Amino acid sequence: MAKTVHIDPLTRIEGHLAIRVEVENNRVTDAFSSGEMFRGFEVILRGRHPLDAQQITQRICGVCPISHGVASILAQDAAYGVQPPNNGRLARNLILGANFIQSHIIHFYHLCALDFIDIAAIANYQGKDAVLVSLKDWVTHQLESKALYPAAPFLPRYDAQYVSDAEINISAIKHYLEALDMRALAHQMAALFGGKLPHAATLVPGGVSETIDAVKIAAYRSKLKKVQTFIDECYIPDVLAVASVFPDYFSIGKGIGAYLAYGVFPESSDGAARLFPPGAMIDGKLEEFEAGKIAEDVRSSFFSSPSGLRPSEGATVPAPGKSGAYSWLKAPRYGGRPMEVGPLARILVAYHRGTNTAVKSLVDSVLTRFYSGPEVLNSALGRHAARAIETKIVADRCAEWVEQLKPGAPTYHDFEIPPSATGAGLHEAPRGALGHWLEIRDGRIANYQCVVPTTWNCSPRDDRGARGPVEEALLNTPIADEKNPIEAARVVRSFDPCIACAVH
Amino acid sequence: MPRITRREFLERSVKLAAMMGLGATAAPRIAESLEQLAAGQAPVVWLQGQSCSGCSVSFLNADSPTPAEILTGSISLRFHSTLSTATGEIGMEIVHRMIQEGGFYLVVEGSIPAGMPEACKMGEESIASLVSRSAQKANAVIAIGACAAFGGIPAAENNPTGAVSVPRFLENEGIAKPLIRLPGCPCHPDWLTGTLVHLLQFGLPELDGFNRPKMFYGRLIHEQCPRFADYERESFAQTLSSEGCLFKLGCLGPQTHADCTLRYWNSHTNTCIKAGAPCIGCASETFASKADFPFYRKGESNKA
Repeated sequence: MAKTVHIDPLTRIEGHLAIRVEVENNRVTDAFSSGEMFRGFEVILRGRHPLDAQQITQRICGVCPISHGVASILAQDAAYGVQPPNNGRLARNLILGANFIQSHIIHFYHLCALDFIDIAAIANYQGKDAVLVSLKDWVTHQLESKALYPAAPFLPRYDAQYVSDAEINISAIKHYLEALDMRALAHQMAALFGGKLPHAATLVPGGVSETIDAVKIAAYRSKLKKVQTFIDECYIPDVLAVASVFPDYFSIGKGIGAYLAYGVFPESSDGAARLFPPGAMIDGKLEEFEAGKIAEDVRSSFFSSPSGLRPSEGATVPAPGKSGAYSWLKAPRYGGRPMEVGPLARILVAYHRGTNTAVKSLVDSVLTRFYSGPEVLNSALGRHAARAIETKIVADRCAEWVEQLKPGAPTYHDFEIPPSATGAGLHEAPRGALGHWLEIRDGRIANYQCVVPTTWNCSPRDDRGARGPVEEALLNTPIADEKNPIEAARVVRSFDPCIACAVH
Repeated sequence: MPRITRREFLERSVKLAAMMGLGATAAPRIAESLEQLAAGQAPVVWLQGQSCSGCSVSFLNADSPTPAEILTGSISLRFHSTLSTATGEIGMEIVHRMIQEGGFYLVVEGSIPAGMPEACKMGEESIASLVSRSAQKANAVIAIGACAAFGGIPAAENNPTGAVSVPRFLENEGIAKPLIRLPGCPCHPDWLTGTLVHLLQFGLPELDGFNRPKMFYGRLIHEQCPRFADYERESFAQTLSSEGCLFKLGCLGPQTHADCTLRYWNSHTNTCIKAGAPCIGCASETFASKADFPFYRKGESNKA
């Protein structure tokens, strides 16, 4: 008989997510994903000055504010008919790129690693590294103390199988601490051109407000170099090390096999060429992306606004307690289908387009390690691998963009705000495809809609009853112990959920 | 670290209790909590209401002390949604047990949807109820970031959830507790770690009328602005990304209390105004509250 297992709250993600799975014979037979928070950004934006949008929408998420800021200024660029000068485009890419790097590092080390790594292994550390010795002393002292919850927030945890190899554990714990510095360093890179992080100040339609000089270029380059070394020498090897201990996660957490990418990081002034191209992969076939195929269902969501609306005419009317609903997330669908978005989608689209040789060779070299083809990427571990590969590609490309900056050349083109206009900003957040749709009437925002990566991934059932991608990926997950459902948590976390974004 | 005597603790606690309008009877309990903090084991429960986690991410940008030093040396962070290894039932068990035991410091990030409690839940309980129950048993409450301190964007005009700041929520619930507001969107990591360290070594920092530590919020952005000389010379920027004082583009530095223009962000890398961006007043008590008060005043200076 099926047993219901709740994971509420699912911690170490962004925001308020509750997962409910039905477990029968130690396998997940059904799954429900519930976003447990709502603020109403789209409602709050109505009637405001259009320039407020890039500041307000950044506050949708403190982990990926830049993605929202850029989506908003892309929508405004389109509405005002302005394009940033080269320096402005490059500065936007460098701010966004740096935030991709910090977001991916935080995700692997600080949100996910403790599901695999045995933090208690530090107690047996015999080496002389000063940082690790002091961590060992702290953990040992904590465990011996009568503290209510010793070594919080790192313990307690699910009683489960963790890495047993001492060397892997110690190195990963060391890198957990180093990663704290590395993600802060990536934020410093972004702040050089963004003013501050989280929530950058300089993103504006027409470019950025910060100017370019040799000192900022040199500082970005120098910080990036340290981060690149960490990605090459720690992040990618650590993901491979976890994969070597938990190879079964190459078959656990298999998704719906339909992927969507809007494309990101413009490499030409009109934005037509991008580092990661747009595309939809359905049943192994690459298709051109068509924005007109996007609509949002709300049958299972706490909204009374009509279901199936296109984002450009979307509506958000909250209806808490609505019968049959179980999430504050809407259910975006592409041509009626649920789609997985994120680094895996971007990497698969780029891999199958074949235009980016760096993507092809990195993916192939990682897969060779496991004697496998790209099909194993559709899994919990595949998502981690894709994210690590993408971090390297973005960092390496940032190193090239920073050299293309011209000190003193303009970063901004002035613009006029027309009384009436519409614009869409479609690009990518670290967690996947992100779209903002803006409509201006009488110089004010008449409608603003955001369709966000985690809204795609963690969506509830749609009007036809089809599960969202995370719900689908949870099916068949083995659950060894219903009291410690770590396997389900690992699958959900591989999507890097961001609920504040998804519910906005 | 300099140790403070029991007597000093009591003196500070009486002062603290008086500032909070609690009366001297609360002093011994406050003294106990200050001592705990000084012993490097002050228990902290960090709850997120209607937040974006930006203040948590900003806390991770702290550099000296680093977040790892704070977590292992100063406080015992019993629960934090983004950092806790404990998940699901184990996580809620910690929160419930902490509420039962009492005597912790409550950090709240995000606003409280007072008009629609279903709009923020954790462990099948509304965050309003969790914050209310926790605050009653906490030694002190720190409302971190624009949303918790003053309501922020979730509480802006036309918001559908009836969101309110944490102090307003506690007042409505009739809960009187020592309270510190650390506004800013996000809260600067120094404002949080500095407040914690001040509590740890020297007791409660001096607060202003909004319960903000004066050491961070005592002066206006404008008074410490890197473009102050431009203002004095009446050299105003006409477009974004130009040199000059940003006042005519809407800069709210003259009415926002915070020290970012001196402190800078991200380990002294940069700050909004230096980067050509008008201050949007994210630390101000009125941040984002009115729909007809835009962040930018583009084009107005040309019309005048």
